[in-house]
Amino acid sequence: MTRIEAIIQPSRFESVKEALHQIGVEGMTVSEVRGHGRQKGHTETYRGREYEVDLLPKIKIEMVLPYNLVDGAVQTILKTARTGKIGDGKIFLSKVDEAIRIRDEERGEGAL
Amino acid sequence: MGIPSTPFGTVLRDFYAEEFARIEREFRASSNGRMATQARSALLDRVIVDLGREFLGQEPGEIRKLCLVGLGGYGRRELFPHSDIDLLFLWEDAGVESRFREAAQAIGRALWDLRLRVAPTHRLVAECDKLQRDNPEFNISVLDSRCIGGDRGLFERLRNKALPHMIDGAWSELLADLATLTRQRHRKEGDTIFHLEPNLKNSPGGLRDYHVAWWVGLISNMEKHGRWATPEDVWPSKSRKHMEAAFDFLAAARCFVHYRQGRDDNALSYELQAAAAARGIGVEPGHAMEPADWMRIYFRHARAVYALSTQLLDETLPAPATLRSRLEGWKSRRLHPGFSVAGARLSLLDPAALREPRRLLEVFQYIGKHGVKLSREAEDQIRETLPTIFDSGSAVRGLWGSLKEILVAPHAAEALRAMHSSGLLVRLFPEFRVIDSLVMRDYYHHYTVDAHSFMAIENIHRLRAPEKTWERPFANIFSELEEPELLFLSLLFHDVGKGMPFEDHVAGSLEAIEKVFTHLDLKPEEADTVRFLIRDHLAMSASILRRDIFDPATIRVFAEQVGTPERLKLLCLFTYADIRAVNPDALTPWKAESLWQLYVLTANYLSRSLDEERFRAGAGDLQFIDRILPLLPVPSSRDELASFLNGLPRRYLFAHSSEEVAAHFALARRLKDDPVQLHVENRGQIYTLTLLATDRPFLFAGVSGTLASWGMDIWKAEAFANAAGVVVDTFHFTDPHKTLELNPPELARLKGNIAEVLSGAVSQETLMRGRAGVLSAPQPKVSVPTQIRFDDVSSSHSTLMEIVTQDRAGLLYRLSSTLANIGCNIEVAVIDTEGQRAVDTFYLTVGGAKLAAATQETLRAALLAALEL
Repeated sequence: MTRIEAIIQPSRFESVKEALHQIGVEGMTVSEVRGHGRQKGHTETYRGREYEVDLLPKIKIEMVLPYNLVDGAVQTILKTARTGKIGDGKIFLSKVDEAIRIRDEERGEGAL
Repeated sequence: MGIPSTPFGTVLRDFYAEEFARIEREFRASSNGRMATQARSALLDRVIVDLGREFLGQEPGEIRKLCLVGLGGYGRRELFPHSDIDLLFLWEDAGVESRFREAAQAIGRALWDLRLRVAPTHRLVAECDKLQRDNPEFNISVLDSRCIGGDRGLFERLRNKALPHMIDGAWSELLADLATLTRQRHRKEGDTIFHLEPNLKNSPGGLRDYHVAWWVGLISNMEKHGRWATPEDVWPSKSRKHMEAAFDFLAAARCFVHYRQGRDDNALSYELQAAAAARGIGVEPGHAMEPADWMRIYFRHARAVYALSTQLLDETLPAPATLRSRLEGWKSRRLHPGFSVAGARLSLLDPAALREPRRLLEVFQYIGKHGVKLSREAEDQIRETLPTIFDSGSAVRGLWGSLKEILVAPHAAEALRAMHSSGLLVRLFPEFRVIDSLVMRDYYHHYTVDAHSFMAIENIHRLRAPEKTWERPFANIFSELEEPELLFLSLLFHDVGKGMPFEDHVAGSLEAIEKVFTHLDLKPEEADTVRFLIRDHLAMSASILRRDIFDPATIRVFAEQVGTPERLKLLCLFTYADIRAVNPDALTPWKAESLWQLYVLTANYLSRSLDEERFRAGAGDLQFIDRILPLLPVPSSRDELASFLNGLPRRYLFAHSSEEVAAHFALARRLKDDPVQLHVENRGQIYTLTLLATDRPFLFAGVSGTLASWGMDIWKAEAFANAAGVVVDTFHFTDPHKTLELNPPELARLKGNIAEVLSGAVSQETLMRGRAGVLSAPQPKVSVPTQIRFDDVSSSHSTLMEIVTQDRAGLLYRLSSTLANIGCNIEVAVIDTEGQRAVDTFYLTVGGAKLAAATQETLRAALLAALEL
């Protein structure tokens, strides 16, 4: 099992979610986050007041998938979340040792 | 006791299960919750009496000095299928208690073995004649005490001596505890009855509130008349009918939910609503209904229960005793001869006066200002009066003026809820009826559509005292709004389309608002703004979630959609309030910050693109010609109009209504007869001066200086010019010394003065010297440091200068005359004032080109020196 964590542009979220559903990804955890990578923030002035725009809004999608779905999911996110501009985000992959469904304690891929 | 014997031992569990199943079957057939709760109470009576017989070793009727007493719901014979059982072991004295203590515990254990959740309590009868200060729940539950078995004489002493003594000595504390517990529960439930998945017991308007009204009635009756109230006289007869109907519905629904869930779960989820509606639970057993219609019935009952319980609590609580509150009460009575306020409830002194709609609306204006509620009688009186006012179908004169006053008042939402609850809102605006208690069946919305609309309005008013850091920028925008009433009017009706047969609710709301306009005398430009807000009310949230707001193209498209900074402010606040009213967590700090960023980026785009975005008589701008041409007072060709508009900033066309532009064009045509055209209009406290002239040095300075020399306070101004060099300047000013108000002929002299200054017949300096006195301003309350910023990037041919400084008398004259002295030409100017801060934007050229770096520094130094004077 692999955990996929993708940080994407908020404007791409609906499309990414829909595309993942279409390839069989059924569950995901979504968070509203802020941050910056190499795409640093800047200062805006609004009617004489300075306003730091240093942390930009992003959406974080997390999911744990069986190995057979991982490549497809990564490719789907890459294709759907890309606008070609700085700030499109990142995807992180990591191995997951175990998954347990709390309701019935089922373990392994069946619990996903 | 008259209670039949129950099989005991291992078969008791089976007996209880069989009887429980029988009651459930009967409920399924009848959907009668009241009967089901009484039947379960009777079943428990049998079980408890038999357990008493077994463990106490005596026939229940023969037991002395001990009484088994049912409390709370069990005491009232309203035991829901899976509710807890409150059982009191009432002792004569400590000796009896010690003798039977073990047996009593055995009864409790036996009930637990039957899987019944019992909360046993032990008290000496003598302990019950005073308030248990650490246990307000017990003090209240003992009000509903009923003898199950044992010493009836002991029970009579509890009922007729101890409890009346306790109430007599501490009724106000008892009511205060009840009010505190109720308030805490309501707050936990969002202080609204309109939950889309309400809790049948604890939500405002639920069964707990029904019982709050019951307890208040019991306590008040005992305190006033020294006897227990009966169900027949505990409430006024009008209310009793509604309350009993509400109980029957809620009891049926709660029994249904308990049986379906198999536990004491009172949440009326979407799934359970659909299931209950399909069986007509509480309405017409066996007849399927639409879930939304069934929920409307729920909300109607909940509204009646909530209204009576909160009104009774408010009315019976002792009036506040502080000197200030007494003084405020006295003042309110003095200020409003038509009604009085006691505590937080408003009563009508002259109900007959309500037939005059203006007087009726005054009641709600008062509620809006002071946040009080209607007394029960006042609400009934208003409800009864409505048909006599509105049957004739005549329109209410001056409705917009009265409604405006309600909408902008700090407690507007409270006033609107009272208007809705009394039936006035739908009488005034029948369009609102379609969203009365309308449920949106999704997992995102928590409240009904009408409650959502009131809550959105409340969200804006709460910005008067922002609690969280991320609320502050929105609070600042709110304080800058010129016409907040248009925002509130739009919020009130923005979702009316959800109750109409439209695929897109916005289309329905737009259709409904046109009907609303027929009841109100809005100006055309005001109606346009309301249409815009309703039509585009989802635009900002869509941009945040579906567009890259840091992409300049997104901002440009959005800015064009919005048009003016004032509309941007209105839409931003609309979005803030609308999202926040969906559910308590819908507006996350993340969304709020994204909304603020979109606002700032768009506001900056609007001010920095002024010089670039100009009217060109091409395809994109023909819409303006089509709109203005029919409004021209004298027939004119499209080319003439296009020639006037050509080169004017597009902002000019967004900031002025088509009627205003048509009037400006008419003035422009007269320039060949007189090179200076002036028009002054008085709009309440504000005067608007429009100047059309061919561009020349000191034009802007000349007008601002003359206005300043007359003591006028300019708080907003714009200077635009078209490609032919015709300037269209607008100055909005107030008259703090009331010169024009007290001497109307002075207006002609002011206009004459401006013309003289612009023609050079009178020098500006002469005029200013003669009026030096009026320029002495009081000491400012807040110090605003001066900031001057130049920007050579935003415009291709002008230098943008933004200046933020302390507002003061004659400020615009000082700035504009300094610019003229340095040789700067004002291509575009937008002057604004936020309280003590002046925020001015100028697009400047010198000799038709941008300002050189050295000129910018010279200008900065000259402006700072001018502002030092």
